[in-house]
Amino acid sequence: MELQFKSELTISESGFLFDHSTGLTYTLNSTGQFIFRKIQDKQNAMHILNFVMQEFDVSEETAHKDLDDFVRQLKEFDLVSR
Amino acid sequence: MTEKKAYSKPTIIRHSVGVQNKFGRPPATVPINRLDGFEVSELAEKYGSPLFVLSVKALRDRYRDLKRAFSTRYPNFQIAYSYKTNYLKSVCSILKQEGAWAEVVSGFEYDIARNIEVPGNQIVFNGPYKSHEELTRAFNDGAIVNLDNYDEMQVVEKVASELGKTLEVGIRINMDLNDPPWHKFGFNVEAGHAFEAVKRAEAGGKLKVVGLHIHTGTYVDDVTIYSRAAQGLVNFYSYIQEQLGVKLKYWDLGGGYASHNTLHGAYLPAEQTCPTFDQYAEAICPILMSGPFQAQDAPKLFIEPGRAIIDEPFSLITSVVSQKRLPSGQRGVLLDSGMNIMSSVQWYRYNFQSAQDSGTMLEDTIVYGGLCMNIDVLQASSSIPPVRRGDLLVIPHVGAYNISQSWQFIYLRPAIIAIEDGEVYVIKKAETRDYVQGFEDVPGKFITN
Repeated sequence: MELQFKSELTISESGFLFDHSTGLTYTLNSTGQFIFRKIQDKQNAMHILNFVMQEFDVSEETAHKDLDDFVRQLKEFDLVSR
Repeated sequence: MTEKKAYSKPTIIRHSVGVQNKFGRPPATVPINRLDGFEVSELAEKYGSPLFVLSVKALRDRYRDLKRAFSTRYPNFQIAYSYKTNYLKSVCSILKQEGAWAEVVSGFEYDIARNIEVPGNQIVFNGPYKSHEELTRAFNDGAIVNLDNYDEMQVVEKVASELGKTLEVGIRINMDLNDPPWHKFGFNVEAGHAFEAVKRAEAGGKLKVVGLHIHTGTYVDDVTIYSRAAQGLVNFYSYIQEQLGVKLKYWDLGGGYASHNTLHGAYLPAEQTCPTFDQYAEAICPILMSGPFQAQDAPKLFIEPGRAIIDEPFSLITSVVSQKRLPSGQRGVLLDSGMNIMSSVQWYRYNFQSAQDSGTMLEDTIVYGGLCMNIDVLQASSSIPPVRRGDLLVIPHVGAYNISQSWQFIYLRPAIIAIEDGEVYVIKKAETRDYVQGFEDVPGKFITN
């Protein structure tokens, strides 16, 4: 399943995110930024999970649960649709 | 093979404007991973979670600071610790060691004090309901008894007749100090009831009024209320001395002193609003010293602190059980402790501090207790870092009322430990099913078919 951002978003190198359509701003931590950029690269959720596990020292169980929660949050913030 | 990066939970925080100000509380990103020298994780592993932890040093320090603040400003001063805020035997014993008298408000609390060998003449017996038997015991022991109402006064007159002597008593009075005013306890001054009560007590011929007691409220962080109470006491004493010839042996300003916990709805955090003990003492003592007496004859001044000395020394260690995302986007975190052991969540906006390094990305979180009840919410909105199942949180300043008002419900209540000088002591074991059901009986007819 592919994740897609709903509107044009700009993210800085430090993780500061600006939503051009609403004017709202956000901060992402390093793992959040990593996932965010994978979504921008049009990767699907399964691939993103694999990237996270290759990049970070984390179990599949934890990474999966956290990715699900992160995506739910992006959705609640109206940043992404699935 | 390249080494993998350290992982932290992916987090996104939406910025909001208008909620922070220059007086804001510093973010709770620094973990509390040790309590009085012991790793929080080790304590939880050894004694279980949740777990109440008493820092004995913090308790002694709070008591000594309070005593210093008042005794350097008033010549004849005594603390009577308010048992109802936390009557664990160890707490009462430590404060007895420090020189505290006991302020009790029921026969049960009176018994706790006598059980740890507080002398009867070092007990202040308040409370709106005291039975005939309890009053008889108290007067036999030489306790200080403050009368709340006329019904009680009549009972005490009976006790005086039975004991065949005049009994010395204190009268509880109240004044219009707060909004709404505290009129429940004692007799009102402004309405003239307090004067009538003193007059009536003296006129009966069996009682001698030697004390006045006033309680200004609870969590009173405005020291001017205490100043007005002190001035009211001075004025009232002057009046009853002049009109009735009353000479006081003591006056008692009750409790209500605030602790470093922030109330719901407070704009500023308690770290910035809670008065110091010196500020309380300065608001009270100079006014009392202007009373109708020479300094060497100053009536003994009692105060009855509870939360102000017992809140800070206790922490609760609790575990994250799960977390979920709510439809609003807010994160929900569920803990293994509930409001049955944290009843003060009704009043306080507690800090929930991580016990491990969880990063600096704080997220607005609703903190649920572990009880299977929808109302079991420990905090509707708290900024806490990412946590996962099994992580530990520390809630500081939980000593007042949470333990004495706790109720056994669904889960067994946890152990309570005390730490002093590098030693850990279990001062109350975790409950067991046998303990909870020990007084129950099932008649045979309910069992047989």
